Amino acid sequence: MSVLTSGEFWAFVGVVAGIYTILTLGLQIEFGYAGLLNFGHVAFMAIGSYTMAILVVKSGWSMWLAAPAAVLASSAAGIVLGLATLRLRADYFAIVTIALSEIVRYVATNEERLTGGSQGTINLAGAEEASDYNGQWQRFQDWFQGTLHLGSKDVAMLVLVWAVALALTVLVALSIRTPWGRVLRAIREDEDAARSLGKNVFAYKLQALALGSALAGVAGLFYAWQFSFFSPADFAPLLTFFAWMILILGGVGRAWAVPVGALVFGVVFAGTRFFEFAPFTWFDSAERAYLRLMIIGLVLIGLILFRPQGLLGKREELVLE
Amino acid sequence: MSALLVVRDVVRSFGGVRAVDAASFEVERGSITSLIGPNGAGKSTLFNVVSGFLRAEAGTVTFEGKRIDRLPPHRIAQAGLVRTFQTARALARMSVLDNLLLAAPRQPGERLLRNVVGSRVTRRREQEVLARAHELLALVRLDRHADELGAALSGGQRKLLDFARVLMTEPRLVRLDEPMAGVNPVLRGELLEHVVSLREQHGVTALLVEHDLEVVMGVSDRVVVMSNGAVIASGPPDGVRNDARVVDAYLGVEG
Repeated sequence: MSVLTSGEFWAFVGVVAGIYTILTLGLQIEFGYAGLLNFGHVAFMAIGSYTMAILVVKSGWSMWLAAPAAVLASSAAGIVLGLATLRLRADYFAIVTIALSEIVRYVATNEERLTGGSQGTINLAGAEEASDYNGQWQRFQDWFQGTLHLGSKDVAMLVLVWAVALALTVLVALSIRTPWGRVLRAIREDEDAARSLGKNVFAYKLQALALGSALAGVAGLFYAWQFSFFSPADFAPLLTFFAWMILILGGVGRAWAVPVGALVFGVVFAGTRFFEFAPFTWFDSAERAYLRLMIIGLVLIGLILFRPQGLLGKREELVLE
Repeated sequence: MSALLVVRDVVRSFGGVRAVDAASFEVERGSITSLIGPNGAGKSTLFNVVSGFLRAEAGTVTFEGKRIDRLPPHRIAQAGLVRTFQTARALARMSVLDNLLLAAPRQPGERLLRNVVGSRVTRRREQEVLARAHELLALVRLDRHADELGAALSGGQRKLLDFARVLMTEPRLVRLDEPMAGVNPVLRGELLEHVVSLREQHGVTALLVEHDLEVVMGVSDRVVVMSNGAVIASGPPDGVRNDARVVDAYLGVEG
């Protein structure tokens, strides 16, 4: 029980929720606004994390240069995916995105010389020395903590992640209210109608993918900074579906639904981790792990039953036609 | 030259069926031209070729002297040929007002960065577009519904919205795909007036695909008749009505 009252633990939960927020904002642009079913979103997060780590360790780049380069790489990957597949029908596009995310993960696992393989980033520079890409960030985090007199490093990270997550949420919320956002929403509603009104549907979808992937890349950066180590296993498809759960939980098509959904998801997910009291103590720890997933599932099902439009969604938009 | 749209020897087939077989016709500037023919005559296919939604296998489509048969649909729409659909496409989860705003041409704000860089120009255009949208909503008497979702409109209201949205694009030639399909008699009169006003008040040329002969004969300057993928007759309504081939292919069947 004690861990549930520890500030450190909740700071950690908050950091993860912040990272999920940034990741899911990308999906909000792609699906919530443009209607693109991307089931491989985690691939672009992986590309962000890996590009940054590789540029720092192998090419000796400053982390401050490697980070924006990594976001650009994620975005470019989104554009390449879009150029190849956006002309497919929605359901086929969805299938290709799942395949892409697995391809990225398998490449990261097997291209050992480039990525360190299944042992992860510690192996980036080869087996002889343990490599670390995170020194510069750690120093920055220390400096940030000291300057603002924050209680701990975890709190410093919490403030940093959420500052970025909220700034990005504001930007996404503003963008959808522009004429640009109007075209995206029109494409979600009816591509042919948008086309017949003179809108270049393909170009807009490509932009949505480029921006969504860039956001996933930013999430990848914070993931890498937070954990100082990662391996291909961290980018399993499950993460994409966590982002989908957050999106649906919060509300599709609403920017502010993303941080709200991410916080609720984070608390439910983390809060169920420590069922160390009766009746849960009747089960052994392995059984409890499954029980936890079942409880998370039930909570999510309950939320969807009572608010199918999500926490911040509008019901009338769901029960149409 | 006075022909705004020239369709020349267009061919389009699906599998082994030649849906459109060397069809040719012209739409005069400032006219209302109707494309009629029995079901399966190839009207919709030809219509989709002209809109760029389908590609012609042979033949040319020329608009204001420029070839458009290789252009994608959005470029054709930007050139001023704007279409409606048989079932009005109200964008359901957007407000009625947004439905109209969307349709306006030359919106700098449709480029994301132009909302940050040069945002004054963007905002000024947005104000113009907003004013025009309210004008057109008043014209089709949907102004009370401006803030409702597209999904909340009735079928007839969607037709009106579709009509206003097409005008919002500042078209030169409007192609109406069965504007009267599924419309009640009261609204019919209203829609018909709007179609006629296209030319009279908005200076827009119109091309109709329509089944309702009464409507066609009443408003059209020229009628183009299709049968089995080919144009079998064209001319003023009275001439076409008495054309023996037309009576055979179409009028005779439908009475």
